[in-house]
Amino acid sequence: MVDRLDQVERITLPFRVFSYRLSMILMIGLSCALLLLGRAEAYVFDEARNKVQEATAPLLEFFAEPWGAVREWFTAFDDVLAIYEENERLRQENARLLEWRDAALRMEQEAARYEALLNVQAGPGIGYLTGRVIGDSGGPFAHAFIVNAGAVDGAAKGQAVVDTDGLIGRVVSVGRHASRVLLISDINSRVPVLIESSRYRAVIEGDNTRLPKLSYLPENAAVQVGDRIVTSGHGGLLPPGLPVGLVVMGGDGSLRVEPFADEARVDYVRLLEFEFPSDAEPEDSEAAPEAAEDPAQLGMANTDEAAQ
Amino acid sequence: MFVSEPSRGVRFRRLLEMALPFVVALLCVVLTMVPFGFWPGVVVAPSFALMAVYYWSLYRPDLMPPIAIFLVGLYQDLLSGGPLGLWALIYLMVYGIIVSQRLFFIGKAFFAIWFGLGVVVALTSMIMWGICSLYYGTVLSPLPIIGQAILTFAIYPVFGRAFGFVQRRLLSAS
Repeated sequence: MVDRLDQVERITLPFRVFSYRLSMILMIGLSCALLLLGRAEAYVFDEARNKVQEATAPLLEFFAEPWGAVREWFTAFDDVLAIYEENERLRQENARLLEWRDAALRMEQEAARYEALLNVQAGPGIGYLTGRVIGDSGGPFAHAFIVNAGAVDGAAKGQAVVDTDGLIGRVVSVGRHASRVLLISDINSRVPVLIESSRYRAVIEGDNTRLPKLSYLPENAAVQVGDRIVTSGHGGLLPPGLPVGLVVMGGDGSLRVEPFADEARVDYVRLLEFEFPSDAEPEDSEAAPEAAEDPAQLGMANTDEAAQ
Repeated sequence: MFVSEPSRGVRFRRLLEMALPFVVALLCVVLTMVPFGFWPGVVVAPSFALMAVYYWSLYRPDLMPPIAIFLVGLYQDLLSGGPLGLWALIYLMVYGIIVSQRLFFIGKAFFAIWFGLGVVVALTSMIMWGICSLYYGTVLSPLPIIGQAILTFAIYPVFGRAFGFVQRRLLSAS
């Protein structure tokens, strides 16, 4: 019997080697084809990604939950060790913050009075929903989170995602119960921002490192290390004024942004429901006349048609 | 010859066994996605699925045909939101390297296997960095992938043992 099996083995060996090679070549070819196709037409696979993410979300939640508990336990342990200094620090900070609160209240009233005087149109209110990070890409070349808030909870593509410290990213795809968040450090991420103190516009560009690059600054912009960066709201995707981070000098001598939010430590996040006022006048002075002309032209076209 | 038709229970068990390495690898992909937050500022996780692919290609390639390897990689690509086909290609490379070098590894001490993983991780990391730099049309920082390679290498003894446990306890010898 052993002999017979041996014989069978010997006869089928070349076929098995052949089928192994063939399937290897096929699969490698398929991977390369996917890479090329995904590079050219990334959106083709959005649906598939959504489906897979949706199907895996419960499993991810299953894993993330106990780990979250362990992590909380560790941080609690750390906190206990530092409780005395922390208490002292908080006491001092509280005293400082109380002064700030008085100042803020005074300024709020002043601002409200000025707005009333000048008839300023305040921006739309921002609602939010909270979700838990149940998955991160974990890979070296993609920085994304999966959050357990989906379309049924009110999540929508393009929403800004923040934690208690600042901007983390924005929603790029939404499933029923989970959505994917592209982080500001991802290579595909571009966020229009402002230098808060000097109001210079710039864009922060992710490059898969922890500190995204600060690009498209005007030549003469006076930027200093330590300046605060906030979202500008240009482009209409993100609400203006969200804190993003501080300007730092990168190792390669370029200006970079140290985000307020630490993506490695994020667990609960807020998805901001921000409806950009789409019928408002564009802020760009160059674009404004053009936009103003459009309705007029449309109106003329309509009257022409009516006349005929 | 006393080869009788196996009972239904035995056949079911065999089917489960055949699927086990594949399922373990898929679970490892999910594990890669769990937000661990190892250290502040470190976002990369060790590539658990790469360890699984390495282990099963070495010990039970008969249960991990190329299509299974491809599907594991594709699953990771779809879930992580990275370039589609990237991990699939990397895992197939690992599989190809290991299957062709199996005779060298079989019967070697654990340290040789661990060292082998180090070589494979270093090689695939370089390839991955090259592919991604081409894909995005820019020279990417190699730091994240170096971090991931080191983490993967460092944690392999734990996972290698865990896979060994699965193999000894749940799989009958081929």
